[in-house]
Amino acid sequence: MATDIESAFAPPGEDWIRVSPKLATAYRITLSIVTVLVLVGAAALTFIPKFPDWISAVIAAVALVVFVWIWWLVGRRTRSWGYTERSDDLLVTSGILFRRLVIVPYGRMQLVDLKAGPIHRVLGIATVQLHTAAATTDASIPGLVPEVAADLRDRLARRGEQRSAGL
Amino acid sequence: MSGQEHDPLSFEIVPTGRSGPDEHGHRRLHPLTPFVQGVRWWPAGIIAGVTLAANFQVHVGTGAILVAIAALIAITLVGTGFAYLSWQRLTFWFDDDGDLRVDSGVLQRNQRRLQLSRLQSVDVLQPLVARMVGLAEVRVEVAGAGDSKVTLQFLTLAEANALRNEVIARSAGVRHDAEEAPETLLAKVDAGDLAISLLLRAETFGLLAITVAVVAITLMTAGPVGLLIVLLGGVPLLDVFAQFSRYYDFTVASSPDGLRLRHGLLQRTRQTVPPGRVQAVGFVQPFLWRKRGWVRVRLNVAGASSHSQGQGDQSYTENVLLPVAPWPVALAIVSHVLPGVDLQAIPLVPAPERSRRRSWIQWRQLAVGWDDNVFLTRSGRIIERWDVVPHARTQSVRVTQGLWERRLGLASVHVDSTPGSVKISGLHRDAAEARRLAQEQADRAATARAGDASVRWIAQQYADAAEIQGGLAATGTSSHVEDPTPAP
Repeated sequence: MATDIESAFAPPGEDWIRVSPKLATAYRITLSIVTVLVLVGAAALTFIPKFPDWISAVIAAVALVVFVWIWWLVGRRTRSWGYTERSDDLLVTSGILFRRLVIVPYGRMQLVDLKAGPIHRVLGIATVQLHTAAATTDASIPGLVPEVAADLRDRLARRGEQRSAGL
Repeated sequence: MSGQEHDPLSFEIVPTGRSGPDEHGHRRLHPLTPFVQGVRWWPAGIIAGVTLAANFQVHVGTGAILVAIAALIAITLVGTGFAYLSWQRLTFWFDDDGDLRVDSGVLQRNQRRLQLSRLQSVDVLQPLVARMVGLAEVRVEVAGAGDSKVTLQFLTLAEANALRNEVIARSAGVRHDAEEAPETLLAKVDAGDLAISLLLRAETFGLLAITVAVVAITLMTAGPVGLLIVLLGGVPLLDVFAQFSRYYDFTVASSPDGLRLRHGLLQRTRQTVPPGRVQAVGFVQPFLWRKRGWVRVRLNVAGASSHSQGQGDQSYTENVLLPVAPWPVALAIVSHVLPGVDLQAIPLVPAPERSRRRSWIQWRQLAVGWDDNVFLTRSGRIIERWDVVPHARTQSVRVTQGLWERRLGLASVHVDSTPGSVKISGLHRDAAEARRLAQEQADRAATARAGDASVRWIAQQYADAAEIQGGLAATGTSSHVEDPTPAP
């Protein structure tokens, strides 16, 4: 059975093209910022007179446990991203708890976006996002080195144009 | 034709003031438009007035009534004034390429160009006030990201129908002065059946319970005034009446330019669904409809306008092809939008038995099937759903797996369609099978796309019908019809 489960998300040919480990760093920076904010908030609560201190302690403890857990999860999540280009379509896979795989035909692509938020820019990674006429398609590949991302976008756009199939 | 029938809600004072095109061929909306738009503020004004009067316990006497009338006149004047400004600045025309252009905007000028070769739908609507004076609005929608539709409010009903014909004819590539294509009546929904079907939906019982709760709480806390306000708009059960009013007198007719849907008790709507534009079809059968063999048919159409739900990227329209009909009638009508597909002949492959541990109610219903043209999924035990997507309309294919599915070695396969109420999901398949299905569906979609001729099919039908009419539109058919996807 285990082989069955794995085969459902196996690469079609050789291995998936994986994304940059810097993506995990980006997630972890965001995670750290959020955790620090929660801890500061918990600390601030202790200055409220008559507010029981143990509530702050519980909040801080939960925040730290969640921090450690997600820190670990983020590594696996980053390694789970993968994509591969076939002659007629692009395959993207991701997810550890909720796994998914999406097959997007080049002929159905309406837009290819290349974007990078501030943290991603500092780390030198970018996201390529594909749009079809369906809102549920949701095919984005984060954590790409900018040159790779730009090449991928241009290649996808070109193929999309060649195979465009109306609605 | 609804245009020629006697309409009991119209005062038959059809305004003749057709504003002809100016020297550039630009046309205007009907001069009564600003007034009709001003009058539309009445219900809101009246509710606000009653609420205020009730809250401040105004003594209802001659004085109060005079103030109320004065306020209503003021609202009408202000509303009409603003509407007049935008009416004055709005013109529309067909440009040299045959596309529809709309020029509008008071403070910020706005020029729209709708590429009619990418037409998705044309609707003619008559909101109640407009209907009383014999006016109608036209909504034209083309495929494209974002806001790709225009609403032309208001024209006389005859003008609106003529504009609708012209838009469809231009989009199909036939001569735009061709006469309206003939139609054949396919189905008519009986008002009694509609009412019974709406009452037999599970939602109705939920809404009834909420309504009783709301009314009871209001009676206990706010007294009769609160109750009045609740009755005017706060009753969830009103949704049932709204649906009844929307789908009242529903008729489906076929014509070469597509299926024509007409419905509405107070607001009359006339929709046209070109067959090649249907992205997906769904059948829904609530539990209590089963004994009567009834079913509701819904469509995904790339951007059509009847009833918007959701918000932002998730917003979609519930497009009803038939609000309620017996299975055979529904299947016969669907065969018009999915030509050459026999849904009953498609063999179904059920989900494996271990899926009962994931979905213990509906697992027996879960199944997928496919033939050369469409992919079909079945689901739902209490509300049974059949969802169909043509291979040529497949946008993308997904395989998903949640935690519990993973434990059981299951996965779900989804075929993505344009936003709408029809979602095609083959739930809880064997994981390896799900992956194979997805791959095969992607390949079937690629093959179907390569051979897709449905866009031309419309023009072909149109040409055939025109020839039958005596060669009215024999020139220029399929060569004008293109549907290019925008370059990414």
